[in-house]
Amino acid sequence: MTAATLERSAPPAQSEAPTPNARRNFSEELLKVEDISLSFGGVKALTNISFDIRKHEIRAIIGPNGAGKSSMLNVINGFYHPQVGTITYKGQARSQMRPHEAAKTGIARTFQNIALFKGMSTLDNIMTGRLLKMRRNFLWQALYWGPALKEELEHREKVEAIIDFLEIQAIRKTPVGRLPYGLQKRVELGRALAMDPELLLLDEPMAGMNVEEKEDMCRFILDVNDEFGTTIALIEHDMGVVMDISDRVVVLDYGRLLADGTPDEVRANQQVIDAYLGVSHD
Amino acid sequence: MLYREAGQFKTNYVADQAIFPIRQDRIGMAIVLLFAWVIIPAFGTDYFLEIIMINFLFFSLAAIGLNILTGYTGLISLGTGGFMAVGAVASYKLAVIFPDLNIILVFLLSGLIAAAVGIVFGLPSLRIKGFYLAVATLAAQFFLDWLFLRFDWFTNSSTAIEGVPKTLFGFLVTGPDASPFAKYYVALGFVTVFALIAKNLVRSAIGRAWMAIRDMDIAAEIIGIRPLPTKLLAFAISAFYSGVAGSLMLFLFYDSAEPDLFDINLSFKVLFMVIIGGLGSILGSFMGAAFIVMIPILLTLAPDLLGLPISSDLAKHLEFMIFGALIIFFLIVEPNGLARLWQITKEKLRLWPFPY
Ligand SMILES: Nc1ncnc2c1ncn2[C@@H]1O[C@H](COP(=O)(O)OP(=O)(O)O)[C@@H](O)[C@H]1O
Ligand SMILES: [Mg+2]
Repeated sequence: MTAATLERSAPPAQSEAPTPNARRNFSEELLKVEDISLSFGGVKALTNISFDIRKHEIRAIIGPNGAGKSSMLNVINGFYHPQVGTITYKGQARSQMRPHEAAKTGIARTFQNIALFKGMSTLDNIMTGRLLKMRRNFLWQALYWGPALKEELEHREKVEAIIDFLEIQAIRKTPVGRLPYGLQKRVELGRALAMDPELLLLDEPMAGMNVEEKEDMCRFILDVNDEFGTTIALIEHDMGVVMDISDRVVVLDYGRLLADGTPDEVRANQQVIDAYLGVSHD
Repeated sequence: MLYREAGQFKTNYVADQAIFPIRQDRIGMAIVLLFAWVIIPAFGTDYFLEIIMINFLFFSLAAIGLNILTGYTGLISLGTGGFMAVGAVASYKLAVIFPDLNIILVFLLSGLIAAAVGIVFGLPSLRIKGFYLAVATLAAQFFLDWLFLRFDWFTNSSTAIEGVPKTLFGFLVTGPDASPFAKYYVALGFVTVFALIAKNLVRSAIGRAWMAIRDMDIAAEIIGIRPLPTKLLAFAISAFYSGVAGSLMLFLFYDSAEPDLFDINLSFKVLFMVIIGGLGSILGSFMGAAFIVMIPILLTLAPDLLGLPISSDLAKHLEFMIFGALIIFFLIVEPNGLARLWQITKEKLRLWPFPY
């Protein structure tokens, strides 16, 4: 297991003094999935899954390959439509929606296999994250002047702040197709952040990274959660990372929910140890 | 002069968002505009203005239009000729039915009509892409060809449509009796304005949405881009450009044309311009148009100048061979075309003489 260097600052239960902002006690539900079942032809990807994600927490989803983790994120952001089950988001039962509609409600995500716009620069990729917030129609854009230029500059400023935050100033104008893997993952996080999301879904943001890159990525995730209060659902294989940065963990196995609880609870769960932790210690 | 951006620091985003942020590019652009607007019309012969420049200008506009659709949005179209036909026929009908309509409005309205047709034929693009979309646009091309031949309402019962003589600011600018000089300025005016508009669009939010759809449509949808309206807007704007180009082609170049001038060969010609010039580049659209307009002319002129007369048949064959070889070269080696080669040259120059 990776040597854990990042410690979660004061877990909510043990903090003596109340935290400056009371958001470390996650009581308010942001999203709840109930009895979700999803199958592709004969393959059951998800069976009767129920759990919730509370405002401002970091929620990890773990499980062996093929357990249905990515499918779960795809259900949440409207990419897959489960045959059974309900999704409640911000207190309202959500009807079937397309991904672009989910985006409008404040859900952003990154992909397990990077899904950047390869022909565009880092800056342009992150700028696309602002598209929903840009109001001027194409006739204004054709002029690139007045209100259209002002809007473009406002959003550029936001994006530059994200570029500074992720420390990718040097590759601002580089086409992302030419960037190494680790940096591409970072740009993809930047694009999701540019959407000012309320719920950020990260599908294996640290897969294939070396220790240093992982530490950077952990720091970014913790900072985003801390500074902007963004709720994060995160799929990750590295148990060290999961135990360090997440507030609560869902464990999936063969499309079923195996366990749900704090990192300590999950770590102690015998079924989890058998199904997952046991094999991942290599 | 050396092409450098070293030492030019952007003090703010406004400067960096400028259309040509690097000073040498701005100077280059100013020189091009000076040539186009002053020097060429002052010194160019009628032959040069008409056969080379006007020809080049309306093709540039068509190439920009196709580049928006294919280069920026990633939707392959073989219907450019059909949309140009719509523009040409529409401008002829409008000019005849409304004799007092200003010629600029005639061209713009023709573009809008072509845009509407483009939207209709763009609808399948929600469901199909790549090869199948190319076939669907090919069907649009054949349908439009057939329509204009079948119903002679479009040609006012004649075999040809004509560039109706029109004046602008008191000058005769269209029709067989208009001077190449006047026609050139009309073409140049349209191309200057619409090239600028295209450049603005592709560096704005809508341009980024197009490229997002092109590069990864799934991810585009997840950041909130609605695929259908975004693709249809690309179809509409692309067809608008093609339509205006078709109008200019009829009114400023051919003066009289049978509708089958706008057949599938024209579609391919514009597609070749975009591939050779560079997919996803406005500059490339101009380069591709210049290249494909100039090759046949050079092939007819050069052998004589070199004292090696070749038959016009051979010249035609050579033309096809050269195009074919270049298309294969660019598709395999440099899909970003002449524009990319130009950019690489600039990058080399920027570092010269120290390549490190
Ligand atoms: N689009 C799809 N079509 C068919 N089967 C799918 C699809 N997406 C996922 N699956 C199947 O669902 C199961 C869960 O996959 P996935 O959610 O990717 O797992 P994980 O992310 O946990 O590795 C696998 O058996 C996979 O083959
Ligand atoms: Mg997965």
